[in-house]
Amino acid sequence: MRPILLSGHERALTQVKFSKEGDLIFSVSKDHIPCAWYAANGERFGAYKGHIGALWTVDVDPTTTLLATGGADNTLRLWEVQTGREIKQWEFSTSIRRCEFSEDGRLLLGVTEKRTGQLSNIVVYNIDPTPGASQPDEPILRIVVDELPRVTVAGFSYLSKYIITGHENGSVAQWDGKTGELLHEVYSHDDGMSVTDLQWSADRTYFLTASKDKTAKLHDTNTLEVLKTYVADTPLNSAAITPEPTNYVILGGGQAAMDVTTTSARQGKFEARFYHKIFEEEVGRVRGHFGPLNYVAVSPDGKCYCSGGEDGYVRVHHFDPPYFDFKFEVEREKERAGY
Amino acid sequence: ADVAKKSSANKAVVDARRRMLEEWLAYRERTVEDLVEERQDMGLEELSEERKALIVDDEVDGEGKVVE
Repeated sequence: MRPILLSGHERALTQVKFSKEGDLIFSVSKDHIPCAWYAANGERFGAYKGHIGALWTVDVDPTTTLLATGGADNTLRLWEVQTGREIKQWEFSTSIRRCEFSEDGRLLLGVTEKRTGQLSNIVVYNIDPTPGASQPDEPILRIVVDELPRVTVAGFSYLSKYIITGHENGSVAQWDGKTGELLHEVYSHDDGMSVTDLQWSADRTYFLTASKDKTAKLHDTNTLEVLKTYVADTPLNSAAITPEPTNYVILGGGQAAMDVTTTSARQGKFEARFYHKIFEEEVGRVRGHFGPLNYVAVSPDGKCYCSGGEDGYVRVHHFDPPYFDFKFEVEREKERAGY
Repeated sequence: ADVAKKSSANKAVVDARRRMLEEWLAYRERTVEDLVEERQDMGLEELSEERKALIVDDEVDGEGKVVE
């Protein structure tokens, strides 16, 4: 599994995403320029120039027409993927920590940072995916998060029925996707340990959270019940679910270099950790980064995954056949029984 | 006795995995069914737009048919 290195960013990566077809990778970092790459060979597809601050978040719509980015320049922006043209810019009073399209690409949410005198807000815009269409100035929904701690991550469930948020105290909350009413709150992760990532299953009926408490947890979207727990030995920044029929989760994290001896940094020992999704057991690790993994993403076609590191690199790993063949005995047993 | 202890421990692990697999597959069957029903009630196709993105690709390659 020889990795492809995407080198073009000058600073730590913050988020990486695959197009829904799996052929392109979009990356944002603390430099100011989002990039697009071909997943197959790592060649650069394009760059999106305009932001004037560190970037925290990126997402792409289902047809790979529109790209959304947000960051420390207090703007959420929309770009045409093909041309690199910026088509919309929304300005806020604090930075944008997270953005995400709904599964139909008709809605876009943004999370604004909580700062002194400013509460976390979740804003939702109606998006017209027609090329050249004009986009609205005002959100259709604004949730002012005053009853709960700082929002760190957020996304739309299946059918945009709910908005799910993760918080800096380790809690996870469910909001009505239309009215913005708070429906349910659970304390999935250790108190005071931030939820650092939230990624969906392909059908968005369950999702995976990563936390500084060194665990990742699989939740049911409707009940927020924790279905599975994956225990790591390092604070986690990100966690991804491989698409069915494979049953793995990939966790990324690591202690920042200043917190530990620099040996692991010199040796490229920062690892992506693979766990069996159903059995919760660790099955393997892939090393290579020279700093903590800030984000991991899996291609929707399941053929590869990529990680964005504090070291400024994106590493793309295409899976070898043994990865697809590996099964636990009880899984083989089930197959033989003709499931 | 050690061998017996070990094999009964192994058996416990395998039994636990078997149970987890059964539970997971039952959970998935239930949620997939509920989702399809909810989408149909809303007059939507079975797969969401983002999931359809993968299938369109296959159709371009092999026109969605099995090529022999």
